[in-house]
Amino acid sequence: MVSGVQPMTSTYQWLVEVHQANPYLIKALLTGLLVTTVCSVIGCYIVLRRTSFLADALSHSMLAGVVGGYLVMKILFNQEAHALGMLVGSIASGIFTVAIIGYVSRKSRVKDDAVIGVMYTGIFALGGVLASRFSEYVHVDVYHFVIGSILGVSDSDLKMMALVTIVVLTFVILAFRQLQLISFDRVMAASIGVNVVLIDYMLTTCTAMVVVTGVQVVGIIQVVGLLIAPGATAYLLCDRLKNMIWVSILFGWSGFLIGYYLSEQLNVSPGGMIVVVSTGQFLLVFLVAPRYGLLAGLQRRWRAIPQQLIEDILGVILRAENEQATAAGIAQRIECRVERIRKAVESLRRQEWLQVDDDIISLTDEGRQHARRLLRAHRLWESYLQHLGVAEEELHDRAHVLEHVHDEDTVDYLDDKLGHPLMDPHGAEIPEDFVHLVPGEEVRVAILREGHRGEVVRVLTANTGGLELGMQLVVGPREDDSQMWVVTVMDQNSMQGVVRLNHAQADSVIVKLQPSA
Amino acid sequence: MQARNTSMSTSTNPNLGGNKDQVAAIEVRNLTVSYGPVPALLDVSLSIAPGQLVGVIGPNGSGKSTLLKSLLGFVKPDFGDVELFGEDADQAKGRVAYVPQRGSVDWDFPVTVGEVALMGRYGKQRWWRDISAEDREIADYALEQVRMSEFRDRQIGQLSGGQQQRVFMARAIAQGSEILLLDEPFAGVDAATERAILDVLETTREAGRTLVVVHHDLTTASEYFDSLILLKQRLFAHGTPAQVLHPELLSEVYEGKLRVFAHLPAAEHSEDGQRGTTND
Repeated sequence: MVSGVQPMTSTYQWLVEVHQANPYLIKALLTGLLVTTVCSVIGCYIVLRRTSFLADALSHSMLAGVVGGYLVMKILFNQEAHALGMLVGSIASGIFTVAIIGYVSRKSRVKDDAVIGVMYTGIFALGGVLASRFSEYVHVDVYHFVIGSILGVSDSDLKMMALVTIVVLTFVILAFRQLQLISFDRVMAASIGVNVVLIDYMLTTCTAMVVVTGVQVVGIIQVVGLLIAPGATAYLLCDRLKNMIWVSILFGWSGFLIGYYLSEQLNVSPGGMIVVVSTGQFLLVFLVAPRYGLLAGLQRRWRAIPQQLIEDILGVILRAENEQATAAGIAQRIECRVERIRKAVESLRRQEWLQVDDDIISLTDEGRQHARRLLRAHRLWESYLQHLGVAEEELHDRAHVLEHVHDEDTVDYLDDKLGHPLMDPHGAEIPEDFVHLVPGEEVRVAILREGHRGEVVRVLTANTGGLELGMQLVVGPREDDSQMWVVTVMDQNSMQGVVRLNHAQADSVIVKLQPSA
Repeated sequence: MQARNTSMSTSTNPNLGGNKDQVAAIEVRNLTVSYGPVPALLDVSLSIAPGQLVGVIGPNGSGKSTLLKSLLGFVKPDFGDVELFGEDADQAKGRVAYVPQRGSVDWDFPVTVGEVALMGRYGKQRWWRDISAEDREIADYALEQVRMSEFRDRQIGQLSGGQQQRVFMARAIAQGSEILLLDEPFAGVDAATERAILDVLETTREAGRTLVVVHHDLTTASEYFDSLILLKQRLFAHGTPAQVLHPELLSEVYEGKLRVFAHLPAAEHSEDGQRGTTND
């Protein structure tokens, strides 16, 4: 239809020519852009406030308002098809519908989705009944309202749309902060004196006005799509409300322009095509959005290296000779594909837990710390399982599963319950509690190892085996199958005496740890 | 203003605003609120000195949230009144900052850390006016105070639990409120987050603000708060944790709905309610 236009023609000339050739087309374009602008803006709030179903109700209730407005103007003022009368009627019925839904769901035990369903179908049906009962007065084409017809927009409709656009945009710009606040945190809004109910009703009024204009383009049934598809699409892309609104407008426009163009090409209903394209845009963005998209999520999951694999790798290196290993060696030990190991090692290298020199992988200080923590958890779990009587040959495998539960509290609990063992069931040393054993920390004597020194700063019970506040101690090797703590009490670096403590006593003395000599 | 400033500096004693020369941060007198024949609050009187971290405990439906709403000026009492720094509660709109329950926040909302902090300034401008540069500075400073400046452009869903709490604390600070009301900040968080949130509360308290926190977990109540308010419609106790967490008192209020607290620190502690300093 516009194929005769030369590419060199200026836009203005093109507009003039097109307008002269097809006056309805330019009107349709203008209508579409105005309507999609306001729909996309208000749609953002509908998406964020999760009131899509309510917007649907509002659009359906419009029919009753149109018929009512028509009737009133016809009977009282003998005005045929008075645009403003129908507009006011639709807005009034929209607000009435929202208000009555709110009232009924507050006052009855029926939840609001059911109330919305009951009320709006009722009001919609009432509009249909009125239209057919008074069909001799009311020349409303119900089909037109249901399906919409952008090509049938009159000049007065267009003026009304321009007015709606101005009113809605002015409201959103002026009350931007209030709208943001009541959408995000109503209690806070009310607590700083925002009139929450007033803003709510103003937003509902705007929604009703926008829906009335949207119905012209796509009809009652599809208007919700026009309203919320652009906002929902933008929501997948934006982290700020302002950006979301702008992006939503862009999607509204592109949905309209592409849909309208396609409808001309395919000779189908423009309203339907616009909504199809808008939904298509949403699905596309849902698929490819950089952060909140489906593919991005899958990619993240695919790229993520399971915690268990990381812990296994650290464990293998720590136990290896010289704490060095190759990717192939690790892969063999934990029965895993080499590529997977390489990928994990690379990510651990970036995290600075591992260093890779030629093919040799070794631990950094930080990596060793983590590995030792795991080793401690593993060996404590093994000891615990043995303590419970789990068969020797199962110990390792079961502890291997459990070692991934290694938060501080769990490990401390196991350590304490087992009497702070020094060796695991296979005779390997259980690493000390290096999380707490930091010079300057206040710790129980029970977790100290040979060579630690400190000053008694607190006692929790009277049962301290004779240790008193202020004493300096050095820990010696444990006795009695590791059940007896032996400490040497010092005075100015000369030995004062040796004290033997059982578990309970060692637990009740707190020392402030000093750097080991 | 004068009174407020002087009162801020003398707030270390947990003596619940008993001092005569000090204007209480919160003064509730004979407050009765009802939504029907059963009162939500009955004849509640209490006084909270500035700079306190106060826990509100009590069984479900005991009027804890009604108390918060009264402090916010949301409910009209049947009788009694609420004063904040000597001012009527409904006059003092905005002086009290409400920190919402974590579960009630839409963490997917397209709003950044910086924008949430700025919301604290929304009440200061007429609604059609723009936010001023000064407002932005105040919001930025509030973020700094809770050490969240570097996350300013982060969407709020992409924060850890402790950080999320800090954002809302920053908003409350930006509001300029001396009194912060928190509705169960510890509900449904893991131990590390709980610790992180407590740190934020303590720093905010140290800055001289008064915090009133609805709390559920009696086992941590004594450790977290300077004083406790035990509610069940009536005020059952208001005092140091040691005074309030009395087994008899608790079993009366909770009517045996509570499992045994073998290990309530209050039960074994000194009369003056000093907190133990044990931390292992």
